[in-house]
Amino acid sequence: MSQMIRPPIVLLKEGTDTSQGLPQLISNINACCAIVDTVRTTLGPRGMDKLIYQSERQVTISNDGATVMKLLDIVHPAARTLVDIAKSQDSEVGDGTTSVVILAGEFLKAAKPFLEEGIHPQIIIRAFRSACELAKQKIQELSVDIKPENMREFLEKCASTSMNSKLIASHKQFFSKMVVDAVQLLDDNIDLDMIGIKKESGGGLGDSQFIAGAAFKRTFFYAGFEQQPKHIKNPKVLCLNIELELKAEKDNAEIRISDPTKYQSLVNAEWKLFFDKLEAIHASGVNVVLSKLAIGDLATQFFADKNMFCAGRVPDDDIRRVCRATGAAIQNTTSNIIPDVIGTCDLFEEVQVGGQRYNLFTGCTMTQTATIILRGGGEQFIDEAERSLHDSIMIVRRARKHRSVVAGGGAIEMEVSKYLRDYSLSIEGKKQLLINAFAKALEVIPRQIADNAGFDSTDILNQLRQKHAQGEKWFGVDIVNEGICDTYESAIWEPSLVKLNSIVAATEATCLILSVDETVQNNQAEQAQAGPQINNQTRQALSRGRGVQAMRGRG
Amino acid sequence: MSLVFDEYGNPFIVIRDQQAKERLRGIEAHRSHILAAKTISNIMKSSLGPKGMDKMMVSQDGEVLVTNDGATILENMQVDNQIAKLMVQLSKSQDDEIGDGTTGVVVLAGSLLEQAEQLIEKGIHPCRIYEGYETACKIATEHLKTISDSIEFSKDNIEPLIKTAMTCLGSKIVNRFHRQMSEIAVKAVISVADLERKDVNLENIKLEGKEGGKLEDTQLVKGIIIDKGISHPQMPKIIKDAKICLLTCPFEPPKPKTKNSIEITKAEDFKVLGEIEQKYFTDMVEKVKATGANLVICQWGFDDEANHLLLQNNLPAVRWVGGLDLEKIAMATGGRIVARFEDVSADKLGRAGLVREVGFGTTQDRYLSIEDCPNTNAVTIFVRGGNKMIVEEAKRSIHDALCVTRNLIRDNRVIYGGGSSEISCGLKISAMADDIASIEQYAVRAFADALDAIPLALAENSGLPSIESLSTVKAMQIKEKNPRLGIDCNHRDTNDMKAQHVFDTLPGKTQQFLLANQVVKMILKIDDIIKMGPGADE
Repeated sequence: MSQMIRPPIVLLKEGTDTSQGLPQLISNINACCAIVDTVRTTLGPRGMDKLIYQSERQVTISNDGATVMKLLDIVHPAARTLVDIAKSQDSEVGDGTTSVVILAGEFLKAAKPFLEEGIHPQIIIRAFRSACELAKQKIQELSVDIKPENMREFLEKCASTSMNSKLIASHKQFFSKMVVDAVQLLDDNIDLDMIGIKKESGGGLGDSQFIAGAAFKRTFFYAGFEQQPKHIKNPKVLCLNIELELKAEKDNAEIRISDPTKYQSLVNAEWKLFFDKLEAIHASGVNVVLSKLAIGDLATQFFADKNMFCAGRVPDDDIRRVCRATGAAIQNTTSNIIPDVIGTCDLFEEVQVGGQRYNLFTGCTMTQTATIILRGGGEQFIDEAERSLHDSIMIVRRARKHRSVVAGGGAIEMEVSKYLRDYSLSIEGKKQLLINAFAKALEVIPRQIADNAGFDSTDILNQLRQKHAQGEKWFGVDIVNEGICDTYESAIWEPSLVKLNSIVAATEATCLILSVDETVQNNQAEQAQAGPQINNQTRQALSRGRGVQAMRGRG
Repeated sequence: MSLVFDEYGNPFIVIRDQQAKERLRGIEAHRSHILAAKTISNIMKSSLGPKGMDKMMVSQDGEVLVTNDGATILENMQVDNQIAKLMVQLSKSQDDEIGDGTTGVVVLAGSLLEQAEQLIEKGIHPCRIYEGYETACKIATEHLKTISDSIEFSKDNIEPLIKTAMTCLGSKIVNRFHRQMSEIAVKAVISVADLERKDVNLENIKLEGKEGGKLEDTQLVKGIIIDKGISHPQMPKIIKDAKICLLTCPFEPPKPKTKNSIEITKAEDFKVLGEIEQKYFTDMVEKVKATGANLVICQWGFDDEANHLLLQNNLPAVRWVGGLDLEKIAMATGGRIVARFEDVSADKLGRAGLVREVGFGTTQDRYLSIEDCPNTNAVTIFVRGGNKMIVEEAKRSIHDALCVTRNLIRDNRVIYGGGSSEISCGLKISAMADDIASIEQYAVRAFADALDAIPLALAENSGLPSIESLSTVKAMQIKEKNPRLGIDCNHRDTNDMKAQHVFDTLPGKTQQFLLANQVVKMILKIDDIIKMGPGADE
């Protein structure tokens, strides 16, 4: 029976790109590997930075995996998964963002030959998942618990390990102490906002200051400010959320006066309203007045006259930190200022930091907040320093809760890899090969660290394998002497949580990408992509127009 | 960006606007960075030292600026390249922190990068280079401390401070009168300084400039100069033992802030209103008069009627004085700023020995000078000069001198200039380099070589045979073990900078090394530039 040629059935809108099957999988893996190659060189203490030039004004120089990935603006759907895991690692533990991406890329690469040979992706996924489980157990087993009395040392080491690869590496001792000090000040419910990082260009990194208390840049001020005291011992601090300015009352009341002599009384009434507020503040005995809103010239002069200090338009987070440091509470009215809402500390003063003057509140007895004033040449330098500090604050914060540690420098990866390889030999079936591949992929971390440092990675890896086979579980890459060493001894410590999280996240991402066998991509987005350069607004306008046309066409 | 191909061999897009992105990586990236930085530092080189030349910058709208100040030059160059921008920031941070040595820091950074380039070409990993630089920089800053001298000064003995300020002014346009200028600067700083806390608020020093006259007419006024005249031509122009009333309210009937309108229905009412208004004026004048004030300085204006009344009551007044000037006057005279007439009282008046209006040459411009104030917490430096450019440049130069003096008050250690400290550090580092067993040795030595750039540029700018004089001085330093030997830029036949009185502050020099090193490190650490295409501005 002769078959008639049937017209093709159109299921999807014309132009929609569908790709499916094995080739699709492979191409996804390729895309991911391309991304991984971009961040690869930032890993480890000899990792390099990326300069990402977005526009005239916005340039970022960074070594932080998550930052780089975010700024790359990746549109490929599969590759985006990698960005997501970097972000999740960043928000979950704050460090190890580069290594998680590299691990995921390497897992995918390891899976590729098996896919090409025709092994079903689901089998690979299952094997990887069980390998990941095993790796997790092994890390937990290997991790060393820290005794409370060694806590401080432990935290400082973790902080300095996370700074190893950053620009501030040369001052890591200095900063790790600072970071640990800052985190230790906070209570158990560690709120990161309570560690303020102020950036002030100029000076060397070593000039950065740690203030167990609050500090903020001098705010905009009116005439009379210079006559106020700038150095107060045991100040009484009042934080307000009201405007202290002579202004029209917000009412539409109508007052009629028939006698022109009464005019003055109206003016006086208005003044009185305002001065009553100031008098109330003065009467409460405070001598430092801060407000989130403006403090006008009249109020400034009034306070100067009464020998009090004031600052208006203090940024929200700064004033919250001042409150936390001094024990003050933000007031929305000037009536009924009770002593409980007035904060105090040992010393308030205005000091010069670089080209700016800063207000410092120091010697706070019950402070649960800290401020770090970062110094360094150039904005970008400080920006990167801030990111690095943020990472290590996150690490210390996590480490304080999870007090176990593993050795860095690729040692833990090597050990887990060895364990998995040994384990794979004890089972049979396809899983054996796959777990073996997983184990091999883990070795990418020490290999990359060695590569970035310009060492012969094959050589180093072989030495490491041999050491680990002999049961030396903490051997990792030695950057200083181009070789291998016991990284646990040389105090390259990382919280085990970071490693756990990165292996789990990388495995999850790998499994996700492996389980996709079809991508349906809307054509429109693709065109806007590849089309000529148009800025966002016109692009939106265009696509809106296009949408209308398309609808008309369909109607 | 590397292209990725799908199963049909078509390239597909991984990153937004992939084609438009430019990318440089590896050694290419390093080369392009170093080239950019070197270009900037070469431009600056000729401004270094006492014989350094000025640059003339013409802005987009034709304004001309002549300057020798590194930070100012770079700021006005409007550079586009990212790495060059880093150099601009570098110079700016030196300016913010120290206020002097802004040219030197850029020249040093450029030279460090130049040395690094050669090492990279040799195949040394950039990380090793900057680690070596880091080591060298540490040696250098330590060494600076050992060769530094501390100078003693007090409120009465300011000679050493003046000497240092003179070095700073040596390269500037004012150097003809640098003795006078540095005296002015030092005296100004001393009078506002809090010597116990070692804190100087430079904002209390006002720099006022006026073209006309000669540079040597520049003077320090222990008090305030404001760009305003007495409000009425017939009022007295010189007031001795002035009692000043500082007002932030206008000389007119008060107005409520709430919106208001006046309705008048009868002619009598209008009359009454007029009388009341009159009464306000007389009341106000009386109130001020009653306190014993003989000068009114007002932040706002007042109309001719009030002006006339004031004249009648023999109360000279100044109007439209800016808030910050008013504040400075208040600081200097010890008065309080008064916000309304009800609060005027005798104890809120400021006092000054002499207030006079000064006119200049044939111009109509008038200045009010308030002198002999009880508080010397606020002073004014009044700069004169042949034209606007000179006045502006002189102001910048004096600002530098002020910064240097402030730094000395904070930290009284000095080192000797003329490139002597760089040479000495260079020698020290080279000696130490031999003890380093790893690859960093090369980098450490390169740092020492890079330090030579400063004395070389100094010699070159002074018209000396640069390499010859550098090597002579170097040899002399080693032979005499005298770290004070530098380049004799002023042709005074001695290389001893102590004898020449060429000083730099220790923090200034240390800062230069640290900052230059930081920026170099940052630049060396970048191995990948990803540039979004034009137009992609998110």
